[in-house]
Amino acid sequence: MKRVVPHVAMLCWGVVTALPLLWAVLSSFKTDQQILTDPWSLPTTPHVENWSRAWNQADIGRYFLNSLVVVGGGLILTMLLGALVAYALARYDFRGNRIIYYTFVAAMFFPVFLALVPLFFVVQQLGLLGTYPGLILVYAAYAVPFTVFFLHSFFRTLPGEVAEAAFMDGCSHAGVFFRVMLPMARPGLVAVGIFNFLGLWNQYLLPLVLNPDPDRYVLAQGLASLSVSQGYRSDWSGLFAGLTIAMLPVLIAYVAFQRHIRAGMTAGAVK
Amino acid sequence: MNPSPSTSTYPKRRTILKTALGAAAAVPLLSACVTSGKDDDKPAANAGAKSADNPLGVKDDAPLEVVIFKGGYGDDYAKHAEDLYRGKHAKATIDHKGIQKVGEALQPRFVANTPPDVVDNTGAGRLDISALVGAKQLSDLAELLDAPSFDDPNTKFRDTLLPGVVDDGTFDKSVLVLNFTYTAWGLWYSKPLFASKGWAYPKTWDEMLALCATIKTSGIAPWTYQGKYPEYMNDPMLSMAAKIGGTDLIKAVDNLEPNAWKADGLKSAAEAFAELAAKGYIMSGSEALSHTEAQAAWCQGKAAFIPSGSWLEAEQKDVAPKGFDMVMGAVPARSSGDKMAQSAVQAASSESFLVPAKAKNQAGGLEYLRILFSKQSARAFAQSAGTLPAVAGATDGLTLSSGLGSTRDAVTAAGKETFTYRFRTWYAPLAKAVDDATGELINKRATPAEWADRVQKAADALAKDSSVKKYTR
Amino acid sequence: MKHGRLRFLFGALVPALVLHVVFVLSPYAQAFYLSLTDWTGVAGEAHYVGAGNYARLGGDSLFLDAVRNNAVMLVVVPIVTLGLGLFLASMLHLGGRDGRSGIAGSKVYQIVYFFPQLLSLVIVAVLWSFIYNPNTGLLNGVLRGIGLGSLARSWLGDPDLALPAVMAVLVWSSAGFYMVLFSAAIDGIPKELFEAALLDGAGRWDTFRRVTLPLVRDTVQVGFVYLGITALDGFAVVQVMTAGPGGPDGATEVIGLSLYRNAFTYGKFGYASAMGVALFFATLTLAVLALRAGRKERVELA
Repeated sequence: MKRVVPHVAMLCWGVVTALPLLWAVLSSFKTDQQILTDPWSLPTTPHVENWSRAWNQADIGRYFLNSLVVVGGGLILTMLLGALVAYALARYDFRGNRIIYYTFVAAMFFPVFLALVPLFFVVQQLGLLGTYPGLILVYAAYAVPFTVFFLHSFFRTLPGEVAEAAFMDGCSHAGVFFRVMLPMARPGLVAVGIFNFLGLWNQYLLPLVLNPDPDRYVLAQGLASLSVSQGYRSDWSGLFAGLTIAMLPVLIAYVAFQRHIRAGMTAGAVK
Repeated sequence: MNPSPSTSTYPKRRTILKTALGAAAAVPLLSACVTSGKDDDKPAANAGAKSADNPLGVKDDAPLEVVIFKGGYGDDYAKHAEDLYRGKHAKATIDHKGIQKVGEALQPRFVANTPPDVVDNTGAGRLDISALVGAKQLSDLAELLDAPSFDDPNTKFRDTLLPGVVDDGTFDKSVLVLNFTYTAWGLWYSKPLFASKGWAYPKTWDEMLALCATIKTSGIAPWTYQGKYPEYMNDPMLSMAAKIGGTDLIKAVDNLEPNAWKADGLKSAAEAFAELAAKGYIMSGSEALSHTEAQAAWCQGKAAFIPSGSWLEAEQKDVAPKGFDMVMGAVPARSSGDKMAQSAVQAASSESFLVPAKAKNQAGGLEYLRILFSKQSARAFAQSAGTLPAVAGATDGLTLSSGLGSTRDAVTAAGKETFTYRFRTWYAPLAKAVDDATGELINKRATPAEWADRVQKAADALAKDSSVKKYTR
Repeated sequence: MKHGRLRFLFGALVPALVLHVVFVLSPYAQAFYLSLTDWTGVAGEAHYVGAGNYARLGGDSLFLDAVRNNAVMLVVVPIVTLGLGLFLASMLHLGGRDGRSGIAGSKVYQIVYFFPQLLSLVIVAVLWSFIYNPNTGLLNGVLRGIGLGSLARSWLGDPDLALPAVMAVLVWSSAGFYMVLFSAAIDGIPKELFEAALLDGAGRWDTFRRVTLPLVRDTVQVGFVYLGITALDGFAVVQVMTAGPGGPDGATEVIGLSLYRNAFTYGKFGYASAMGVALFFATLTLAVLALRAGRKERVELA
């Protein structure tokens, strides 16, 4: 009898988690009328045109590409800078090492809201407001601290012998980093890369303030404005289709990479 | 709050927290002044020679950037005016943007002194106009007003506008904003529905309450409203107060006079709407509905009345069923002692167009407005958007839809008794305080006296706040 | 070799440091200065007003609402989220037949539970605003469907329910993540410990209390800090979902929303910065308290 309780508990939370998502996906195939009057029913005939309407007219397609550019650029820059800093701090002894490390890592705990207003003007004075490079640089600046923190401990645990052998072979410092250490740190890079991707892909506050040009909206911004503008047109099905389009790639990526993510979390948790 | 706050793994808790404290104390207070980068460069020399055919001196090939609020009216009318502009200045390239949150998009560009040439500053997320006025970011439109109109070189542009339009755009004696549409506020209902049920539009509040009782027994909710934005309910309530107390009441409110919100007219109107709520005449759940959700429910016949401005018909174009034929009525009179007639309506020009002072193509911006307010452009707007333009005689001879026709009739019937409150544009924080209070009143969580008290407190606080620029009328 | 080392270190550290100073550290520092001015943001000069903005905070009833709401969220969101995460993780691991292997279907659960964490809070908020719709929403639909129609409410329209409704969304979106995190921590506990406890005749609850809980304590504390920071924010969910937003009547106002409205709607950038500084000290206090709590436990254990 006792064994039933855990099963019921797990199942309940499973339903609570999955049902809203399933509901959104189903609603994206229904007509506005069906959504409003009969939120429960299954779609009678799948209205795929909702998806094409969301993708084309509601600019979801464009937001998607904007997100790809900004998140892609931000992710590459974050990983490059973050790995370099983490490696340099973890494997080299020099004066100021600790201070630099703490300067980065402390920033993880500051509320972004405090920086918001001045950050806006810093970006504006650099002429980067509402541009891809501006957003990419800011994304990277705010993601590097976590990356440094995560990879720092990772690089510390890597064995030093391989690197020494490489130095003996005449490898430069950069060569050792890029050709020897970086490949060895791959599991950590993958894990932190996935975390960063999720964080950047879902970023809302920074683009809301720093990216005011609707032509360059990222997906989260686009959906928030869509929930207003589709509201004006009362295009609920289009909105649900937009939501689904925004959700699916991340969910699919997760299912595909979930072993890596779990491994990364375990790696972090064991530290 | 780094970009991956909750996905971060396991920090070494103690060292990190210590560092957070240490670094916070160690960060030097940079004296870098964020306002230092202001450059006061004049608009680029995008001006051409003035002539009878080109009274504003538009440089023919200067590019023009137009930003339009794309709400219920869409933005096709603005594109139509752009076509007319191109017809006149063939070499100009026009960058058109139709957006929703104008403030979010343009605030940074005003700060950076790179604003567009024309802005339609409208919608929920519009720019705070008084901040722009205070910072001298807007062009004086006097030159445009005195220029010949687009249609008739013998008529000044100023004389083609409906009464009140110039006033609505005046700040400290200069005209800085031109409103393109003429909006009236009232109560909306489906004419065929009322006809089929034998319901007559109520002229007094007593009639309204009696009719609501009848409507309720027929299984329809008498009222719904756009609960997430209680300002929609303010409009009929403050309209009623204005009718009771007349122009003096409106001026007292706008001028932040002591105890203005405790005037009998406002108290009586608040009591009227509190009674509506107390008797259960407002559709349950309304308070949590967005404007679109509430309006959709109303179009589905779940409620009989909904308060709104005259943009409603256009906004519901794709949602209202065929034969819904919505019409607008003026807010019922409180009693026979009201200072204004029942036909009086709250009306104002809106859809605020402005030309930024730092616009690169200022002449082009003014020229665009001259063309937008031409009869041809205004007629096209009336037909596509289903809304009255602020241009005199623009709808003459047009067959109007039921909603637009009823709006025009209401404005005509009101004659000189059209009124509007200005505090909403002048003092955004006060508007927020009134909205919140009204939400509480309508949901029976505040009595009319409490409503008046808290709004008065907010108004007093604002009046005392020396950091807020004050206006009077 | 020495020269190459210096050059490498320089190249590795300087770009990231420049980025960090320009976009992260300098804005934080400037915010402190701005909070002492009356700057309106559109143009014009900033005048030094001393502590004027801070004095005004105390009389801003909406801001005080925000502080109260953030305080409630700060207590409730971490406790409920972590409790739920811990409960689910131990069910997952210990609910199996012999009390220590995983429950049937645990792989699927781990995937599904993680989903909400993957979605932007904006998407979550848009989705839940439909779920909470009093007339056509999923939640009331389910309640009516299973005969509990009397429990249907106007979730976001009722000032007593709006904040709990917002907090429920925050819990929903992150409980799964902590479940997986705790699950990873429990995985790290040697199986022998569980077996020993079972041999001693300990029940499930005893095992949980005596074996699991002490060994995941560190995870719980870190979770508290992270969730605390999330709870001090809440901006995206409130802005997208609630009436007003921040309503009804300030019932869901959060500091971030007040700050955002004052800065980007009213143009009171100086005043908004003062709110930011206040928020900063709130976060700092949270960090100090967590640190203190951690230290105390160390002492007790020693």
